[in-house]
Amino acid sequence: MTDTVSLTIDDQAVEVPVGTTIWDAARSLGIDIPVLCHSTRMRPVGVCRMCVVDTGVRNLQASCVRPCEEGMAVYTDSEKVRRNRRMLLELLLADYPAPGNREATTGDDELLALARDYGVEHSRFQASASAAPAPVDDSSPVIVVDHAACILCDRCIRGCDELQHNDVMTRSGKGAATHIAFDLDVPMGESTCVACGECQAVCPTGALTNRSLHGLHVLAEDRE
Amino acid sequence: MTAIDVKARVVDSVCPYCGVGCALSWVVDTERNRILEARGRDGAANEGRLCVKGRYGFDYTTHAHRLTKPLIRREDAYPKGALSWDDNGPRRPGGPVDPETVLPHFREATWEEALERVGQGLRGIRDAHGGDALAGFGSAKGSNEEAYLFQKLVRAGFGTNNVDHCTRLCHASSVAALLEGIGSGGVTNIVRDIERADVALITGCNPTENHPVAATFMKDAAANGTELLVVNTRRPRIADYAAMYLEIRPGTDVAFYNAMMHVIINEGLTDDAFIAARTENFEAIRENVQEYSPESVAELVGVDAERITEAARRFGRANAAMLFWGMGISQHTHGTDNARCLIALAMITGNTGRPGTGLHPLRGQNNVQGASDAGLIPMMYPDYQKVSDSGARARFEALWGRSLSPEPGRTVTEITDGALDGTIRGMYILGENPFVSDPDVEKVRKALGTLEFLVVQDIFLTETAEFADVILPGSAFAEKTGTVTNTDRRVQVGRQALQPPGESRQDWQIICDIAERIGYPMRYPDVSAVFDEFAAATGSYAGLSHEVLGDRGRWYPCPDPEHSEGEPIVFEETFPRGRALLVPARQSPPVEATDAAYPLVLNTGRVLEHWHTGTMTRRSAALHGISPEGFVEIHPDDAAAYGVADGGWVEVTSRRGHIRIRARLRDRVARGSVFIPMHFREACANVLTHPAVDPVGKIPAFKYCAVRLEPVVAEDRA
Ligand code: SF4
Ligand code: SF4
Ligand code: FES
Repeated sequence: MTDTVSLTIDDQAVEVPVGTTIWDAARSLGIDIPVLCHSTRMRPVGVCRMCVVDTGVRNLQASCVRPCEEGMAVYTDSEKVRRNRRMLLELLLADYPAPGNREATTGDDELLALARDYGVEHSRFQASASAAPAPVDDSSPVIVVDHAACILCDRCIRGCDELQHNDVMTRSGKGAATHIAFDLDVPMGESTCVACGECQAVCPTGALTNRSLHGLHVLAEDRE
Repeated sequence: MTAIDVKARVVDSVCPYCGVGCALSWVVDTERNRILEARGRDGAANEGRLCVKGRYGFDYTTHAHRLTKPLIRREDAYPKGALSWDDNGPRRPGGPVDPETVLPHFREATWEEALERVGQGLRGIRDAHGGDALAGFGSAKGSNEEAYLFQKLVRAGFGTNNVDHCTRLCHASSVAALLEGIGSGGVTNIVRDIERADVALITGCNPTENHPVAATFMKDAAANGTELLVVNTRRPRIADYAAMYLEIRPGTDVAFYNAMMHVIINEGLTDDAFIAARTENFEAIRENVQEYSPESVAELVGVDAERITEAARRFGRANAAMLFWGMGISQHTHGTDNARCLIALAMITGNTGRPGTGLHPLRGQNNVQGASDAGLIPMMYPDYQKVSDSGARARFEALWGRSLSPEPGRTVTEITDGALDGTIRGMYILGENPFVSDPDVEKVRKALGTLEFLVVQDIFLTETAEFADVILPGSAFAEKTGTVTNTDRRVQVGRQALQPPGESRQDWQIICDIAERIGYPMRYPDVSAVFDEFAAATGSYAGLSHEVLGDRGRWYPCPDPEHSEGEPIVFEETFPRGRALLVPARQSPPVEATDAAYPLVLNTGRVLEHWHTGTMTRRSAALHGISPEGFVEIHPDDAAAYGVADGGWVEVTSRRGHIRIRARLRDRVARGSVFIPMHFREACANVLTHPAVDPVGKIPAFKYCAVRLEPVVAEDRA
């Protein structure tokens, strides 16, 4: 028998195995906590802080990595939490090249969708004037890399290194110059990339998109 | 730039390329009848992952070279011969068959006229010379339904068992050894069971390129503690994740595995209870391996005795050990012997029937398992029921309403021989390209040219179609609905996403159209009815239907498909033949040893971006863009000795022919060996390969022949 802990999430009681994250526990109750860096297909890393929740301690906690504790009372959608998320979205949108390649083609940019959900129409912040706009890397035959649309969520890096084990992608640079990189920071098309497309598939923004869609605007997707 | 608005439909299907069988969805622009994007789906074999072929290799469907009308050979285009080969074949800069050179020899026809010609051609030969003068090559790229109908047409309509397909060229020897050893040709454990294995032996395969998504799960397992033992003659990338990589000399597999068994038996690492309860003939194995001590084979195999011993101990001591193998095991004149050794290795260590154990010959084509299950094999009806078994024959005679031939039919290579000696006069080839895929192209060319009547059904003009009297335009995978069975025995439904272009038709309907014209009508309301007839004629697929397979599919056998996913592990208690038969094998010399005139061993295979003869992938902009041309891989030291530079042109010559190709210097090939991928017609590896076959599996030795190599001076090439 595994040990369990009991807690409440938005006032609903739940009992989960020790080690379960708050995000997973909430999901088992049907509560959706917004994410950017987290994906159920990958190891949680907790880098974006979109999924923060209020556990009653001084700092909001990133629910995708924070394990549940006995007796915790978690609030996933309090005003404090929502304010925090709005601030985060504004910061991310400050230098975002909206609408970006994902929104313009398949319309499923996760950052812009969250901005809409949280009523963030524009950012009060501006990209620092001194920073040169991040470049577009057009070197791959299948994927376009728009570094300006990258929010450094690391999904692509985990997709490349941990799902596909191609070990091509990493982060490079520091501070505002931090960016995703291929091999030792060469253009994607010149790297050891095998074009499996996993990075593009997991990217939540317009940073990594399929070239085949550029120039198209998919109005609606019917499923059968 | 203003964007073009498109209305999209999302269709759940399966990747059309390899045997991993990744589930995917296509985003389809219905108005323009094209696929815009492929997305991984949460399938049993892939959990949303795809490789470059599944993700980006879909655009061949809309290539301008698609056949859209039936074609009949012009009167003045006889006698038949290759049309695009001689003038520009080996010296062309590259690319698939150019229709411009071929189409002038054909004229467009109506379906009515073309089918009438096919009916006449096939009927005429059958009625004058008997059914055994006809033969059919089906394809492991077609669906189960197409394979079933095709072999039914040949058996009941033509009246012969001369029906085969490309499994002959890939795993026929593995299947022969498995049928002999355990009584079933399918895998015992699914790929992803590797996560429960302590040790996995991965031999004669290059999964990161040929089964890419399966390889990601192997690497997952390695990261979580499964020890990989990788054995090969050319270093595959999976070796980077291995606990041990053992590079053996080409063709020494039997000696190597006998030596492993020598250690396991003599050091008491066998599972004696399993041997006693589940196997027979162990004594013969024990005796046979005595003369294969690691010390005595080390020099032949090219691996130190200590390392052979260590690998054997790791395998023998594992609680759960799994075996994966590919064409490096099967495509030899001793391919059946190689597979026998692997089966014996698993059995004497008790490694089947439990999680993390078992035998997994990695299947190449998306439906090579299913095409074999459906009976595209000359000796077997659907579900491996022997044509020589009168009970089975009576059942199929009753089902198909015709008396059937009790004689096992001819295999792929025997059909070629039959065409040459005049005993095979007419052929129906659906979706295969033997001219490029079979060994010794020159011989195949003569054989195809000799046929009195040849009908080819395909989506592009293939090199094989150039020999046809009639060419029928079929449909691409994405243009039809049907089931395919992956390497894990997972049966999945591929759903129609596109309309077949022009007048091209769905392949299952064309097969039925031909049946009609030769006096054996086969009529079905839709393709799922074909599946139902097939499933009911088998034990393995019984109970399955398109409806119950749904979006996720099932592993067969699956007695209770409403409530279960099917069996990821089989033979927990017993094998289909009862006890496993252990068959000793002896190291034998290669058919064509190297010598002073031909000092190098040629190994052939595939690259990540391409598929077989390249008819699909070379017409995909993305895949062609990444991998535009053929190459011969050669060790830098050998290259230096021959005066060959990286990227320079060389001529590679065997006793059967010669090709020109660019050299790629790589130390992943062993000294004394070269590697050429099979996809590139202008540098066609099978011009060089040897047509000798394994005596049991009848599989050609694509992995071994003797060649020599010379640099080509630049001016020469023009
Ligand atoms: S490219 Fe996309 S997936 Fe990668 S870090 Fe940036 S936003 Fe995340
Ligand atoms: S691994 Fe095989 S089935 Fe999967 S996407 Fe690649 S080619 Fe297709
Ligand atoms: S989603 Fe939890 S920190 Fe990004």
